[in-house]
Amino acid sequence: MEPVGQPDALDPAPLLVGVKDDQTVTQIIFRPVWERTRRGWWILFLIGLGGVGLLITAISVTLARGIGAWGNNIPVGWAFGIVNFVWWIGIGHAGTLISAILLLFQQKWRTSINRFAEAMTLFAVMCAGMFPVLHLGRPWFAYWLVPYPNLMRIWPQFRSALTWDVAAVSTYFTVSLLFWYVGLVPDLASLRDASKSRLQRIVYGIFALGWRGSGRQWHHYRIAYLLLGGLATPLVVSVHTIVSFDFAEGLIPGWHSTIFPPYFVAGAVFSGFALVLTLMIPARRFMGLEQVITLKHIDNMNKVLLATSMMVGYGYLIEQFMGWYSGNIYEMYSVLNRMFGPYALIFWLLILCNVLAPQLMWSRRMRTNLAVTFGVSLLVNVGMWCERFVIVVVSLHRDFLPSSWAMYRPTWVDLSLFTGTLAFFGTLFLLFLRFLPAVSASEVKELRQELSEHAEEKAA
Amino acid sequence: MKSPSDRVDEAGVDRAVEREFPMGAAETADGMDRRTFVQLLGTSLALSGLAGCPRAPPEKILPYTRQPPDLTPGNPLHYATAFATGAYATGVLATSWEGRPTKIEGNPLHPSSRGAAGLFEQASILQLYDPQRARLVKYKGVARAWKSFLAETRQRLDYLLEANRAAGLRFLLDPSGSPTVEDLRRRIAAAFPNARFHAYEALDRDNAYQGARLAFGRPLETLNEFENADVILSLDADFLQCVGPHLRHSRQFAARRAPGPAMNRLYAVESMLSVTGTMADHRLRLRSSEIQSFALELLSELVGKHRLGALAAIASALGQPLDAGPRAAWVRAVAADLARHPGRSSLVVGPRQPALVHAIGHAINSALGNFEQTVRFTRPVPLEAEAGSAALAALAAEIRDGRVDTLVITSRNPAYTAPANLEFPSLLSSIPNVIYHGWYEDETWARSAWTIPAAHPLETWSDARAHDGTISIAQPLIAPLFNGIPELELLASFVGEVDKNAYQILRESWQKKTPAADFEQRWERWLADGLVPGTAFSPERPSVRWDALNAAIRGAGKQDDAAPPGQRPLEVNFVGDYKVYDGRFANNAWLQELPDPITKLAWDNAALLSPATAQRLGLGQGEVVTLELRGRRVDAPVFMVPGHADDAVTLPLGYGRSGMEGVARGMGFNAYLLRHASAPWFDSGLTITSRGKHHPLAVTHDHWSMEGRPLALQSTLAEFQKNPGALDELRGPTETFHRPVDYDQAPHRWAMAIDLSRCTGCSACVVACQSENNIPVVGREQVRRSREMHWLRIDRYFSGPIEEPSVITQPVACVHCELAPCEYVCPVNATVHSDEGLNEMVYNRCVGTRYCSNNCPYKVRRFNYLHYTQDKPAPEKLMMNPDVTVRARGVMEKCTYCVQRIERVRIQSRIENRPIRDGELQTACQQACPAEAITFGSLHDQSSRVSRLHRDPRRYDLLHDLGTRPRTAYLVRIKNPNPELA
Repeated sequence: MEPVGQPDALDPAPLLVGVKDDQTVTQIIFRPVWERTRRGWWILFLIGLGGVGLLITAISVTLARGIGAWGNNIPVGWAFGIVNFVWWIGIGHAGTLISAILLLFQQKWRTSINRFAEAMTLFAVMCAGMFPVLHLGRPWFAYWLVPYPNLMRIWPQFRSALTWDVAAVSTYFTVSLLFWYVGLVPDLASLRDASKSRLQRIVYGIFALGWRGSGRQWHHYRIAYLLLGGLATPLVVSVHTIVSFDFAEGLIPGWHSTIFPPYFVAGAVFSGFALVLTLMIPARRFMGLEQVITLKHIDNMNKVLLATSMMVGYGYLIEQFMGWYSGNIYEMYSVLNRMFGPYALIFWLLILCNVLAPQLMWSRRMRTNLAVTFGVSLLVNVGMWCERFVIVVVSLHRDFLPSSWAMYRPTWVDLSLFTGTLAFFGTLFLLFLRFLPAVSASEVKELRQELSEHAEEKAA
Repeated sequence: MKSPSDRVDEAGVDRAVEREFPMGAAETADGMDRRTFVQLLGTSLALSGLAGCPRAPPEKILPYTRQPPDLTPGNPLHYATAFATGAYATGVLATSWEGRPTKIEGNPLHPSSRGAAGLFEQASILQLYDPQRARLVKYKGVARAWKSFLAETRQRLDYLLEANRAAGLRFLLDPSGSPTVEDLRRRIAAAFPNARFHAYEALDRDNAYQGARLAFGRPLETLNEFENADVILSLDADFLQCVGPHLRHSRQFAARRAPGPAMNRLYAVESMLSVTGTMADHRLRLRSSEIQSFALELLSELVGKHRLGALAAIASALGQPLDAGPRAAWVRAVAADLARHPGRSSLVVGPRQPALVHAIGHAINSALGNFEQTVRFTRPVPLEAEAGSAALAALAAEIRDGRVDTLVITSRNPAYTAPANLEFPSLLSSIPNVIYHGWYEDETWARSAWTIPAAHPLETWSDARAHDGTISIAQPLIAPLFNGIPELELLASFVGEVDKNAYQILRESWQKKTPAADFEQRWERWLADGLVPGTAFSPERPSVRWDALNAAIRGAGKQDDAAPPGQRPLEVNFVGDYKVYDGRFANNAWLQELPDPITKLAWDNAALLSPATAQRLGLGQGEVVTLELRGRRVDAPVFMVPGHADDAVTLPLGYGRSGMEGVARGMGFNAYLLRHASAPWFDSGLTITSRGKHHPLAVTHDHWSMEGRPLALQSTLAEFQKNPGALDELRGPTETFHRPVDYDQAPHRWAMAIDLSRCTGCSACVVACQSENNIPVVGREQVRRSREMHWLRIDRYFSGPIEEPSVITQPVACVHCELAPCEYVCPVNATVHSDEGLNEMVYNRCVGTRYCSNNCPYKVRRFNYLHYTQDKPAPEKLMMNPDVTVRARGVMEKCTYCVQRIERVRIQSRIENRPIRDGELQTACQQACPAEAITFGSLHDQSSRVSRLHRDPRRYDLLHDLGTRPRTAYLVRIKNPNPELA
């Protein structure tokens, strides 16, 4: 395999490996779509469907019996439902960050992974979106959170962060979907053009929206894509900021904190990148995308992981510090309870996963070691889930009056809902990998062009 | 006439009512013509009002004070009646909505109640509607008619009379002071000369009467007047919760807890931490068996040092000087304090203590000149002074000898409550003809030939005596729901009065005693007032028989175990349960779900012991153990209680039921299985072996400590007077970002004050709230998951050393913050503020995010995690308070400051065109509170009680620094410790 651009001293790992021409790109990227469905895919898909069945069962039980089917209680009014919601939303952050912010910053390495990350974002937000509705005592009235003109003449209560949550999450989902879809259009057209069956041609054709690849279309496409990028960028910050208000607005020790918005955003990016890594490492291997998703990408993403880990770690540090510095007995107790209370194990697991494990990424050898990266990314996923558990459950279970303190234990429905959404996510992802190009072919071709021009210039 | 029920069954009524609105054309087209529809609608509406009242009583029932010209639908009526637990009756007012009794409150005119109501009185309303109550007269399990019971019993009685003048006829009755029962008994005795009467209840007062017999030569009732007592010493007497007229005691005691020179001082000596123990200024934990030695030490100290003239007569019996040590210091201090307050002190002895301790108590009270001041005497209230294990053992012996042919039982479930060694259940089975008059198809029911469902007190006429002998006429509010037969009718059938109903029996009995001229007038007055004036027993003025007491003391000797703590054999204590009493309330879900005032255990009992003893035995919280005593075994979970005496285990009675009561069955363990007739209260030699299992107990308040937070505060009188400004940082204005509402425009600023000095933690308010506000019962599993629904809870904290803790209780309901953290987080405006300052919950609007609960620092909000009201059995629906919404699944709820009561009073005041008067408005919790710890009113009225309490130097706000500005203020509990024991 010949690298396209000669590695120079400062940039040793190439972004594309052995990609000679656009033909190769098309082959590499579209092959998984055109080839016969593999056995492994079917096995995973069936497992996923089983999990989706579990999810549907758990949702049915929740709707039929009520939230009592969960382990929630008083004082722990929010538990798995909200933990999962925040976790999934956090994961959904990597997509927009990679797509929008890196686009605006003209980071070339985003091209190979943005499609992937955006799909992940969409599916994660879909999983996340289930929970705020399901966790309601009367989910059939969920629409009351939306400001719409009604005969009751009651508006939502705009001081509540939950009202803004609805707006934030739904906006985020819409923009992410648009962004992802607009990016897909040229590739969909390629798929249409290369379709072997009528059905494929019709389906891809409908979604390709009549894309012909003319200069005029490209011109409009570019502007639209850039504008969407600009629109999505503030969302990266706003969504998790508003989600963090759900807690920061409260007066419960462990929630009532001004650091939450930046700390949540950093955490979200952290977990999003971790999940992209978790999914990408096996996917690039089994789908033969190693030439377009290279160690350079992995290396870069690990750097982001390390940076956000440090930010999150700083957040933890400040939380503990503020607990002490406030001089408030309730805050102080909350800090100590996290570290040494009945749920201390989860707190220390979170420190191990989120703060200690990513420190490996200081070393380039570790950053480019797939096994280590995969392991760390898994740990970060676990750690971020623990973080949300610590914030939501551990803060609530012991608040002001010790008389109402109680322990929270999840029920099978809680666990099924969580694993069910994992399966649902996985199933959607498998479908995505099967029917759509996981990497943006048009953008990689463009990148290849740029890189080879750059190399030629250098050679000249 | 065709009965409406021929047409519509009960469920059909509900369906028809539901159709009132969606009466679509489709239904008419389906074959129901307009006429049928209107008929059905009319019947169902009539039925929905009357379903609880299948046959209207022909008797005249008089309303209590406000006599309405006619019943106004939508306005409840209140009837005075009485409810007896054991021999003592408490006067109550029952609320009735169009014939449905819904709530029980105290009768302000009644000497035992003074307007307060206890747990049992209030919760008994639930048993009225309990669908599991016995419904049919049965003979050997087969349903029979009441008439055939009468006929067959008549035959048998005639035969018995002929054979040996009814020598085989025995009655085992619930102890009672009812004059009409007395009357009937006299007539039965005349008709059946050889018949005998016995009385039995598991929580008897035999020791008290025996003690009086020892001291005075005759059994007497002891009446305590705590309002006159400056110093009170309780020897194992839980007089604030269980013993005697505890509502009256609580009120009198609380009246003397206001800090100042008039404050009383309470010393408590007990084994298990009791409600009274938590209120004590000094508490000494001793095993029950050591309390007798304590009493003797106190006596000898009083004789030796304080030279109380009268006691000198028994000085010769006491040879034991006090040892050194903390207990001796305690005795010295108490003796000195008592001696300093002659005529103003009181020594109370609990019914679990042996007769000698009671006699010593009488001797000391007599020597201190307390008779007629703080202690009064009357003849005993129950007809039999012996109604305990000894009485039952005598009957058992007769049964064993085959001398009993027909046993009539109205005592509450003796097959279950009898001490195990009597083997009463099998004895019952051996009697040819047992006639059991019971509430449930319980353990005794299963072993009786004839079983007769008993009528609930709200279903029948009767009379009863209060602690001081005052008679109340108990009137029914509803015809028997489950074919219950009144006790009076059962007894009257033995003298041939089979046609008369309880009303006639009662009235005739009273007519005989009253001059005919103005009987009707008087009778109506009695019913309206709920008591017959002037029927209190005349006071007795006994004097102590010193020589008899002398001899008894000499005979007793020192009983203490010489072994040091930790090596003594385990003592076992049997106590009546705070919630199910002797087991008669075991099927009452309100009481089962009520957290025990001390342990905060719901739905179960446990073997209670001190943490040190548990540690010594290597037992953990909730560990299942086998308890063995005198060869009998029972398995029980262990529960540690701070302040419990070491080397002792307390077993609350009344659980572990095996009858047909669905609520009670499977809850807790049966401590009666270890009880021995010769040692019914405490016994030695218990062995404990772990089963290696763990039982998940439903504890609502697990964390003992306040973690150093200023939550439920207490201080001492001296400390408080020295530093009255100490509370300033827990009250007063706070900074806020919010724009506070201007309440000056509103006519009222509703507020509450809770005086911790008065609150004993008895939990009567919790049941009052449950009854008033239709609060659902959620069951043991849900309580284990911390989902109990009580709007009002009693927090209980321990502080200080775990072995000798200081205990404080604090009722916490929604404090109605002026700047409520719940309100700004609700996304749908479901919890909002009223202009008078109520934090209101709009159930219709609630979508159930639970954010409000999360953000409530007091955690007083309750969430309907499941549809708790869905499976409510049909009869219990009649019990709902129509003024309060029944909440569905998925909505949040909480204390409303009884907004329905506010609105009722507001309407009344508007009709009368006057402002709402202070005190006119009482919340349900306030109304029930025997200690008057809760006050409610408007802060706009500067002279209202609540305004004054809000300005009290003891006032503080819970979690004041959060700036929530709660409308419920707390008043610090002040204790009055003896400086000599500091």
